[in-house]
Amino acid sequence: MENDPTAAPKAPSRSFAGKLFDVLSGFGLATILLLLLGLLTWFATLEQIDSGLYPTLNKYFHWKSVFLLPEVQGKMVPLPLPGGYWVGAVLLLNLTLGGVIRIRKGWKHAGNLIAHFGIILMLVAGGVAHHFSERGNMAVGEGESSDAAEDYFEYVVEVAEIKEGWPHDIHVIRGRHLDDLTDGRGRLFRLPKLPFDLEIAGWLDHAAPVSITERAPAASERVADGYYLMEKPDEINAEANTAGCYARIVRRDGTKSAPFILAGASFHPFSVRHEDRIFTVDMRKRLWPMPFTVKLDQFTAEFHPGTMKPSKFVSRITRIENGGEAKVTIQMNEPMRYEGLTFFQASYGPPGAGPGQRMYSVFEIVKNPADKWPEYSLYIVAFGMLVTFLTKFGGYLASTTRKNRHV
Amino acid sequence: MEIVEIRAATRRDKTPKLFATSDERFRDAKPSPVKGATPDGWLALPATQMRLLNYRFGESGMGEVWVSISSGTVPDNVNRWLKQFGAPPLDPAALAKLRTVPIAGANGVWVEAAGEYASGMGAAPKPGYGLAGVVADVGGRILTVKMVGPKAEVEAARPVLEAYAGGLKMAE
Repeated sequence: MENDPTAAPKAPSRSFAGKLFDVLSGFGLATILLLLLGLLTWFATLEQIDSGLYPTLNKYFHWKSVFLLPEVQGKMVPLPLPGGYWVGAVLLLNLTLGGVIRIRKGWKHAGNLIAHFGIILMLVAGGVAHHFSERGNMAVGEGESSDAAEDYFEYVVEVAEIKEGWPHDIHVIRGRHLDDLTDGRGRLFRLPKLPFDLEIAGWLDHAAPVSITERAPAASERVADGYYLMEKPDEINAEANTAGCYARIVRRDGTKSAPFILAGASFHPFSVRHEDRIFTVDMRKRLWPMPFTVKLDQFTAEFHPGTMKPSKFVSRITRIENGGEAKVTIQMNEPMRYEGLTFFQASYGPPGAGPGQRMYSVFEIVKNPADKWPEYSLYIVAFGMLVTFLTKFGGYLASTTRKNRHV
Repeated sequence: MEIVEIRAATRRDKTPKLFATSDERFRDAKPSPVKGATPDGWLALPATQMRLLNYRFGESGMGEVWVSISSGTVPDNVNRWLKQFGAPPLDPAALAKLRTVPIAGANGVWVEAAGEYASGMGAAPKPGYGLAGVVADVGGRILTVKMVGPKAEVEAARPVLEAYAGGLKMAE
């Protein structure tokens, strides 16, 4: 066989790296990845009806989700799927290898190359937004001002010194340092600028403080000053969850206070006296100070006739910064972009407000370094497709002209 | 772990109530929009966010009665209560047959159930429990009076509960 002169010439055998490159840059892999993204989006759309939007997005598209099993109407679908983040990452690799490195070069293929760059930019924008964007909301009443947004989900613990009735030096312990303190795990948080540290344990994502006179603890919950934290099942609307944990003051001499409860569902902070100084320890959704103040001058809402379906919300605001003022209108699909922040018109209240009732407006505030990248990527893709079209059209015209010359 | 993140005070910060007790920190101190006279033998407890009026009753100390303003409709609340006892939901015809009783100047439906009580609040199911209560639409608000506890104690306390519900008054 080896010396058979009639045998077709053999293609040179590819190395393992070469074969791997072929697979990773192949059109087949791109097709599979796009199908997976379609499946993930479809299952996530169905699952968020029962499980809520935020938990579903985390399950399907968070980087920590490598594999998942979809659930539809509370029943598990026995179809393991890769996490959407990683499908997107492999698609990015595939496009880079196949659509940029492996693709045939030359001016005839310039349009394709440009379009692939556009799609790559869009995938990168998704990754940047996933890792680096922040979101919060700000509710402002007509005639009132606000200079802070509140995170939708993240509960933090804040320790502040109270001077002349007002909080100063507000130390913030972020949720990412707290939400792993479950199942008996605790952590000491050192506060070098304060005369004590804080020990925190028993974190619950959704809990309510309950008096033992009202309902006896069902299991071995810790009791602090006659209260314990009763764990509750997560809300479908994850923004409504109220976190809770147990804390102790650890003084510089090593002694500890009695444990106390910190809860998102509390009306007042816990107070600590140290010599003649007073401190508060509180749990709240993370506040995000803005670099300027927003004053809501007027809010108007218009509805489709005979319905409560909004056709238009308009907030007329004054942006106040360093003594200067700027009048800005924010409405649906027309956000305010300023200093890297985007203010979207999100909702309003109170629900069912009647004529003459004082309204408040709610803005969603997003800080996303890749805010405009998807838009730029669409321009790039459109330009690439236009170049491809013009190249093909030019080639067609040239060939037609040549044929006509031969006739 | 050392905490170095410090944020500036904002307009959202306010003068805190210092040295609040746990009751003040965790209970809503707003006055209840519903007033009621505590029956003999019931123990009045502080209100909570969900319980405008809150009581314990019965020899076991396990019986609870509370008054709430609820969301949803009268059928929604009746069927939610029944579901907590594993009972099937009532259709409109069955709901129309429920006995009505006076409550806060209106009429409400009287609901009863018995069996294993699963409150759905993370607590373990409790077998041998009973339910009695009233659900009413009072001026567009859904007012509920709910009694749960050991079945025999609930059955014995039904007349007291009915009289209590009839004596409730809206504060306005």
